[in-house]
Amino acid sequence: MALDPIAVLLKFGFLAVLYLFLLWIARSAMKDLRRANDSRAVGRGAAASLSDQRGAGVSEATGLYSATGGHRPDLDALDPRLVVERAPGHDSGMEYEVGEGAVLGRGDQAEIRLEDPFASSRHARLVRQGGAVVLEDMNSTNGTYLNEELLSGPQPLHPGDRVRIGDSEFTYLER
Amino acid sequence: MSARTRELFALIPASLLVTAGFLAIFLSQESLKGVGGQDELRDVSLTYGAIFLGLCFGAHLVIRFRLKHADPYLFPLVAVLACFGLVMIYRIDDELARQQAQWFVIGLGMFAATIIGLPDYRVLERYRYLIALAGIVLLVLPRAFPPTNGAYLSVRLGSLSVQPAEFAKLAIVIFLASYLRDTRQVLVLGARRFLFVTLPPLKHFGPVLVIWGAAMVLLFFIQDLGSSVMFYGGFLAILYVATSRLSFPVIGLALFAAGSYLLYQVRPTIESRVAAWRDPFDPELYERVGGSYQLAQSLFAQADGGVLGQGFGQSVLELQGGKPVLPAPQTDFIYAVIVNELGLAGGLALLLVYLLVVQRGFKVAMLARDSFSKLLAAGLTSVFALQVFVIVGGVTKLIPLTGVTLPFVSYGGSSVMANFILLALLLLVSDRARREA
Repeated sequence: MALDPIAVLLKFGFLAVLYLFLLWIARSAMKDLRRANDSRAVGRGAAASLSDQRGAGVSEATGLYSATGGHRPDLDALDPRLVVERAPGHDSGMEYEVGEGAVLGRGDQAEIRLEDPFASSRHARLVRQGGAVVLEDMNSTNGTYLNEELLSGPQPLHPGDRVRIGDSEFTYLER
Repeated sequence: MSARTRELFALIPASLLVTAGFLAIFLSQESLKGVGGQDELRDVSLTYGAIFLGLCFGAHLVIRFRLKHADPYLFPLVAVLACFGLVMIYRIDDELARQQAQWFVIGLGMFAATIIGLPDYRVLERYRYLIALAGIVLLVLPRAFPPTNGAYLSVRLGSLSVQPAEFAKLAIVIFLASYLRDTRQVLVLGARRFLFVTLPPLKHFGPVLVIWGAAMVLLFFIQDLGSSVMFYGGFLAILYVATSRLSFPVIGLALFAAGSYLLYQVRPTIESRVAAWRDPFDPELYERVGGSYQLAQSLFAQADGGVLGQGFGQSVLELQGGKPVLPAPQTDFIYAVIVNELGLAGGLALLLVYLLVVQRGFKVAMLARDSFSKLLAAGLTSVFALQVFVIVGGVTKLIPLTGVTLPFVSYGGSSVMANFILLALLLLVSDRARREA
């Protein structure tokens, strides 16, 4: 078999280009990982993941939820969550972790999605302020009820408080 | 440098690879025939490279205008895979390569259609049961058509043959991701411990079991073993990501082991596959019809490649008398042909490309904010990775050989189209995740 020098050159050229390309992408992948680590150290905003208290501890195992979860120790100590009492499209007893805060509403952007005809797309929000979680109505059409009273301004929540939006009712719990 | 510019630059090596690959093959074919006219050939191979670059550029423009923030490396990595596929298939059979090129054009069309037609992929969640049903129907369909090699893999529409399992893969992943988004907490919270084993509550786990059980039964029914391993593994991966409970995949693997052992006892096809895997060089198995011939030949071909390979167009594909050395070199055994021609270096590079695609995919899942996106990206990536594992593992005698396609490299329209849709979904998730971050 006569080896054509050009063919041999092409083969090595092919492999060389391929490996250089891979090296380049692998390098930027490494950079990405470093950046992800930094931003995790800084911490993120609202915890979109709905993992419950028990799941949160283990979810580090897959790493997929820890990147956005932002489970800080002080937050874990408080562990605020909403338990579904009754809500269309949800099973009662289901728990939503509030984390740093969450928006309740019918829209796609809401962390806690309500399939309730009376809910606005961004209806109300829970915001963590220091050691407390504050409930705030976001100019909804039908209002938010805290312990069956219409919410007029931001109100701090206490364990056992009942939050009602339309036909959806939740109980607020801390650890 | 913006993400999109980086993507554009990353496409250049891919088209260089196509040019180099085609040129080398033209040269080798010319030297076999002993005909001159190399200048013309160089032009032709440059043209191939240019067309390839043009097509990729078109897809790049779609991404540039619709998904500004999407991961910049996924698409170039896939372009490199496609280049491997086109060059190797051209080397095996130029007519097939022409068809494969058409499939790529159609695949890129579906890629663009998915990106443009589905700007918010989360609407898929609303149709989860419909999508699951479509996936199941896709798996039943091939049973109505005559089998190939004892397996009911394809649906014939005129001269076309479609492999619905490739599309069913997407449907099942979308269903699992959207269903588990809602129930993942209940699965963990309502779990009971029974004999050291955590069992999820049946009420919430039921629908998953039904859909996925149906898929498994059907795959067994149509005798598509490779896909069933892929589906099973993908299911366990999504479940693990959704619940973070190690016990679920552990139980799943135990059940898998038990199930495979049972099937091994019952089904002669599986028994012969395992026998061929355990000792491919046994003379009796080697001679037997449906024995270890394929696997042994694949191992010979890979060993023949050595570290740096025989070179493009240098591998022996046909014995004297026209008997092929490797059966199905353009689909199941394309990895063996690649290793034969480019050696360990080329094979490793190909696996590295896959590894990087998977790394980018999981990265997308990590960045995604909402659970559905996370589960979707993780699920699609897992299924993709498992598909590569099943076929490369089979061809290299790591696991018993079961036929699935090597994504983006093997010949096959369904595989190319389904995987381009998979890529489009990953990029859609990636775009949303990075825009919000």
